[in-house]
Amino acid sequence: MTTAIQPGGGGGGSSSSGLADVIDTILDKGLVLDAYVRVSLVGIEVLTIDARVVIASVDTYLRFAEAVNRLDLTQTETSGVPGLMQDMREGGARDKTKGVLEAAGDKLQDFLGDVGGDQKSARRRSGEEE
Amino acid sequence: MAEEEQSSAVYVYGIVPGDVEVTSDARGIGGREVRLVRSGDIGALISEIEVHGALGRPDDLVAHEGLLDAIVTEVPVLPFRFGAVMANEKAVGDELLEPNREEFAAALGALEGQVEYVVRGRYVENAILREVIASSKEVARLRDEIRDGDEDATRPQRIRLGELVYGAVEAHREADARALSEALSAHSVAQTPLEPTHEYDAVPMAFLVETSKRAEFEDAVDDLTHEWEGRVKYRLLGPLAPYDFVLARR
Repeated sequence: MTTAIQPGGGGGGSSSSGLADVIDTILDKGLVLDAYVRVSLVGIEVLTIDARVVIASVDTYLRFAEAVNRLDLTQTETSGVPGLMQDMREGGARDKTKGVLEAAGDKLQDFLGDVGGDQKSARRRSGEEE
Repeated sequence: MAEEEQSSAVYVYGIVPGDVEVTSDARGIGGREVRLVRSGDIGALISEIEVHGALGRPDDLVAHEGLLDAIVTEVPVLPFRFGAVMANEKAVGDELLEPNREEFAAALGALEGQVEYVVRGRYVENAILREVIASSKEVARLRDEIRDGDEDATRPQRIRLGELVYGAVEAHREADARALSEALSAHSVAQTPLEPTHEYDAVPMAFLVETSKRAEFEDAVDDLTHEWEGRVKYRLLGPLAPYDFVLARR
């Protein structure tokens, strides 16, 4: 087997990916060099990247409460819930809303801002073109 | 050799089969040329790196992942954790590859013809909040109480309300992870749940998928994405190097 490795090649991912995804994907993942090598390790300072985990805190609760407070229940609602979900629903909620994908997009945008990265420059190369 | 005195070292991306050819235009961290250090039937993908200076800028992370993801559809790869640096190429061959050759070769064999995908879901805020409000009298009552109340005076109610929403999100996570796992198990050879990293994240799941079944897997995720639209926004990342399926020896 002889395979050529080319930059950005290999058929690439179909989804573009921001810095947040890169961090989630590779941070603290993979083989640990120290476990295999004792002598010739070179320590290079690795910039601190906060491991972001979801922790229940008062701040979290207050943010959720604020989101509930902001919610406008008079918005048009449409019904329909994927069948998979029917059995785990807690109550009689039958309604959900459309047109909220943009809001979720804003959230992601904020989140990427928090990471402090330039989303554009951080996009993973995808596809064959380079 | 005093390692502190050398100005350049070798960054290690991962382990690949020894018969891989790296083209001269392959670039890694800092735009450096990527080369292969061989030892028998295995090799390590490396590039030179300045010892002085910090690692971890966005471009560094992207370069690390970009290289590993670009090759995994062609050859198996064992990714190293970001920041793996050794003194020189000789050390990579003598200390990393030579003594661990059997272990690495076996792992590469086990991962041959497979790639990783990660499915990440983000709950649609309004949809999930509506569900919670409609499903709990307490939530509805608390909502009314804080609506016109003074922010400080209603702090206990706000905390309680947030706690209930959090619990509802948690319940969704559990059930959705189970459903996702079941829906995709037929299309993957292994799977593992990952940690959510955002308050409205569903449980991200990593899947190991046979290269020959990539289209099938991607179609199955597509179907789920449409089925759950409006409630969860699913995204598919991959094909990726098997970051979540290499055994981390300690």
